Amino acid sequence: MAGICCGVVGESEPSAPAEPSSRGSRLRILDPLPFKFVADRAVPPLSENGRKRHRIEVLPSEGIEGRKPRKARVEEEKVKGVADIKVARTDGSLNSRENVQVEPQECPKFGLTSVCGRRRDMEDAVSVAPSFCSESRQKPNGLHLFGVFDGHGCSHVAIKCKKRLHEIVREEIGRCKESSVQWKEAMERSFARMDNEVEWSDVAKTSNCRCELQTPHCDAVGSTAVVAIVTPDKIIVANCGDSRAVLCRNGVAIPLSSDHKPDRPDELERIQNAGGRVIYWDGARVLGVLAMSRAIGDNYLKPYVIPDPEVTIMDRTAEDECLILASDGLWDVVSNDTACGVARMCLRAQRPPSPPRSPGSDLAVGANAESSDKACSDASILLTKLALARHSTDNVSVVVVDLKRDR
Amino acid sequence: MATSDGLPSDQQRSRCCFLEWMRLQESDLAELLEALSLRDDPGDRHRRQLIGRNIEHFEEYIGKRRSLSQEDVAGFFAPAWNTAIENSMMWLAGCRPSIFVRLVYVLCGAEVEASLSEFVEGARMGNLGELTASQLAGINALQIDPTMHLTKHIYCMQGRTIGEEEKLTSRMASLQEKIADQPIVAIARRTNQGVEPGSEADAALDECEREMLAIMGDADRLRLNTLKEMVGALTPPQAVDFLVASKKLHLCIHEWGKRRNHKHGRD
Repeated sequence: MAGICCGVVGESEPSAPAEPSSRGSRLRILDPLPFKFVADRAVPPLSENGRKRHRIEVLPSEGIEGRKPRKARVEEEKVKGVADIKVARTDGSLNSRENVQVEPQECPKFGLTSVCGRRRDMEDAVSVAPSFCSESRQKPNGLHLFGVFDGHGCSHVAIKCKKRLHEIVREEIGRCKESSVQWKEAMERSFARMDNEVEWSDVAKTSNCRCELQTPHCDAVGSTAVVAIVTPDKIIVANCGDSRAVLCRNGVAIPLSSDHKPDRPDELERIQNAGGRVIYWDGARVLGVLAMSRAIGDNYLKPYVIPDPEVTIMDRTAEDECLILASDGLWDVVSNDTACGVARMCLRAQRPPSPPRSPGSDLAVGANAESSDKACSDASILLTKLALARHSTDNVSVVVVDLKRDR
Repeated sequence: MATSDGLPSDQQRSRCCFLEWMRLQESDLAELLEALSLRDDPGDRHRRQLIGRNIEHFEEYIGKRRSLSQEDVAGFFAPAWNTAIENSMMWLAGCRPSIFVRLVYVLCGAEVEASLSEFVEGARMGNLGELTASQLAGINALQIDPTMHLTKHIYCMQGRTIGEEEKLTSRMASLQEKIADQPIVAIARRTNQGVEPGSEADAALDECEREMLAIMGDADRLRLNTLKEMVGALTPPQAVDFLVASKKLHLCIHEWGKRRNHKHGRD
């Protein structure tokens, strides 16, 4: 199955090669540390493909969630929302404009699933921040942030990104003087700040994780970050690492990010120009260690591994169906096209006019608005199940955002 | 080997208990397989009964183990009746509870692939147009299907089970380290080679075994609870499927292990 899938990926996504080898551990830990440390901490030696068996880790239980859309302060932002749309909508998609005017701030429906899968450590973190700028007065309310962070080495960088990145992005947006946000710059600054915070984070406060924030082990910890900000008229995706965002538009899968793999030609060149090397050892790895070329954290691999995001800004259209953000636990075994197809099928199956349900079903017409939320949740679960069915060996995190507005 | 007074030894009784359990699993498996192909089972009554009985059997086996292990718990941590490969895969005198979750991944996986096969086929052909009626039916079945909720449940369960496992693993690790600490080390240093160990040594090892007994009890409880929770989360036909798979797996590994033992002259 995985073989078939890789074929599909290869054909349809030239920019994102699916290396079968990337299914191994992301981080090959070359432990330069003396035995003393290991003995001292009573940590068993490396196992499970270079991952460590670990102490029990208290994570905020991620599980699976589906959220109802949140309506927030419609009156205040109505005028501004309309103004934004008039500026942006030059493509003449008038039919969706009215809907947008009615509820420009409503958070799109979404579902998320984040599971350990065949790993024993959970290193993924997912963040969903609806109307995350609603506190700042001068900035648009209709901004919603979704992020997937796939940690390596330990989970604390991913968790920190989940907790902080949306706040940093909010502050950076707040700094923009003009009414239109310079997204690329704002996201680049946000990622740089996030990386900086991880580097200088207060060690004592959060040492509740496997690595116990011991240097230099703590330096060998990082996370991918793929963040999508959904505005009334745009989707902004900032990506760093090998998690991925894919837009499903009219049945076609459009990748909104391109994986940062060490063997991506431009990345390889960048690393080599910085004096680094890419060594093929269980796949292409920076210095033979890390199987991705950009990440938040990973201080010891700087400047070869950088935290700079690539930013994609996409105008929303009426044909947009959904947005999928996921960690490579999904993308290693499920192609973009298949993922979009599955998500789309879940969303459409519950959209009116829906196929007749069994009599006595409590999902009547009135419940449609709610059930679509369930549809997102189902889509994320189904994608996760598919990844596990295809023997994904990694943590799997999937966020599905429903972008349809004409309901 | 029988004891001098002609009564069966602890080892014999424990082995008997295990062999009985394996035989019971074989007959349970036969019944489960029958139930799997059962066409007419209104309200899954028969399946539910069977599942309940299977859980009871496991519970009884654990109970018997518990009373037998009062005398000789170490025998259960390194059972002579298991094959080498089984003992290599053991965790605290039995299987890891988290393997129940892995097993369900495999079963769910087959289900998902089957439900999505036509669809995935279509996607591979680049045909992402309209959904066919059967695709829609398939997806609706999946959504109405309790597995969706089950899936949520199992994913949450996995984290919890692994957490519990780690706690017990770490208790066992402490105990294993204790063997190289006082009082055992002091007793060993005082003892001359070839001299019968005193009651001191036995007392120290008895102390270890008491902790082992507690750990095994908790591990068995975790195995039982995980099994119950899993079976409770599944629909009756899925639960039967799951039990069939788990029993078959255990019986097969035991048989395969015997053949490998034989090959390496370990009979």
